[in-house]
Amino acid sequence: MRLSRRRFVATWLQIAIVVVIFLGPVLWMVTSSFKRNVDINALPPKIFFAPTLQNYVELFERFDFLRFIANSLLIAGGATLLGLVLGTPAAYAVARFGLTRTGFFMLVARMAPGTLFVIPWFALAVALGALETTPRNYALLIFIHCIITLPLAVWLLISFFEAIPTEVLEAAYVEGCTEWQVFRKVALPLARSGVAVACLMCFIFAWNYFLFSLALSQNETMPLPVIAFSFIGQGSQDWGGLMAAATMISLPALILTIIAQRGIVQGMTAGAGR
Amino acid sequence: MITMTGPAGIALLALILFPVVYAIVLSTVEWTPAQGFGEFTGFSNLQRMVEDAQFWDSLRITLTLYVSLLVCQTCIGLYLGQLLDRQIRARQFVQAFLLLPSMIAPVAISLLWLLLYNPQFGLANYLLNLVGLSGLPWLGDPSTVLMSIAIVDIWQWSPFMGLLMFAGMRALPKEPFEAAIMDGASPRQTFFRVTLPLLKPIIFVAILIRSVDLLRFFDTIYVLTQGGPLDASLTLNIYAYRRGFQYFDMSYAATLMLTLLLLVIVIAGLITFLRRRYADAA
Repeated sequence: MRLSRRRFVATWLQIAIVVVIFLGPVLWMVTSSFKRNVDINALPPKIFFAPTLQNYVELFERFDFLRFIANSLLIAGGATLLGLVLGTPAAYAVARFGLTRTGFFMLVARMAPGTLFVIPWFALAVALGALETTPRNYALLIFIHCIITLPLAVWLLISFFEAIPTEVLEAAYVEGCTEWQVFRKVALPLARSGVAVACLMCFIFAWNYFLFSLALSQNETMPLPVIAFSFIGQGSQDWGGLMAAATMISLPALILTIIAQRGIVQGMTAGAGR
Repeated sequence: MITMTGPAGIALLALILFPVVYAIVLSTVEWTPAQGFGEFTGFSNLQRMVEDAQFWDSLRITLTLYVSLLVCQTCIGLYLGQLLDRQIRARQFVQAFLLLPSMIAPVAISLLWLLLYNPQFGLANYLLNLVGLSGLPWLGDPSTVLMSIAIVDIWQWSPFMGLLMFAGMRALPKEPFEAAIMDGASPRQTFFRVTLPLLKPIIFVAILIRSVDLLRFFDTIYVLTQGGPLDASLTLNIYAYRRGFQYFDMSYAATLMLTLLLLVIVIAGLITFLRRRYADAA
């Protein structure tokens, strides 16, 4: 269908407006993180300004931000790894044998409010001493973030495993492979791109998740979102610092969206088809 | 087979079934931080909830936000979907821009909007003044706080709905559209008479996905207002969290959260029922 000239211009005008509305605020956040506070507080708002790294320097020098970045990486990375190790074979089995009950559990996992998990886990953490000792607290946080990553990984991967023709798997099975060998040697390599997408999505979602760490982390193990939130709790008016923190929280999303946009859209929408 | 699903199953049982069962037990007994479990109290927490004015207020706020956000996000999502579906170049780029807001942590998004909403030098009031309107108190006033929160969430999640709708539109059969062009239908007529009816199943799926998240909506509100001012944005989720972790009123908090879970399940069930009834039959 060819577009008429008027419709062509109208379409592009609308797209331009949409891009400004949805990209503008993100750009505002990133640019503000390079502004001095006098430039942020200026009216009318400054579009041109002398950029400074001061906000970032201060975060690292005054608050030891490296530690919180490492915490975030450890918790999100650990939960992603654990979620995929447990979730990939499960997704394969669900796709191959149509296990509806497992699928149902995944659904409940995606429906229950996060706050519901926090109280029982809080009580359990107290009993296990996982709120006091740092290594145990890390383990607890990694494990509890699997509530996010495990169902997500299974949900995303099922459609990738379902896309593999049954004959291919049957052939390997007939030739004497065990089900695990079929999974490892045939299905997994074929679903490689799916595993990559699931990996990215799990990491971003675990990295972004706020509530579990808010309730269960301690000073040593706090990930980025919690420490950034604690800044406003202290009534901070240091907007440059806040925007620098927000930009750093957004960094994985910014990078991954740019390099893997196509795969993420595919994964998110493929899962929605069911 | 059991070795494949087993570990994931056990992990899920530990992660999900244990908390739910624990919450159910907790809601029927007395619990204090010092002594832990106390006497069995049966349904007294349920009774307390029914008589708690704040609970009904929170429920109202939760449902108000839920319905208005769902309607706005679905409509804007449909609009964005058909915009992407037109024959345009650089679709990849536009898609990436649309994906971005939903990938960024709600905490970062909320910090950003705290700056935009700032009454003294925020961009929001500046733009209002620019077109001759007076500035709003945004998050600072009970009468505007829900709208302000809604704008943030609509901004963050409508593009994602747009991507879902677009994916759905791509998967539609081509023939009805060719027939519509042959019959001389305008783009508008084609959208309302052909696209929308065909898209119904996808719209239901998108609504289901969003509903589940919207009812449990926590991060954005907690960072923006923590339920204030004057509890005007205290959703059920935030109220339960506050009861549990600020007042250590764990039994009652568990009751509130179970009620919220029940609400999510009922609404998800209702949407699934409507989808079977109206979308799959066609």
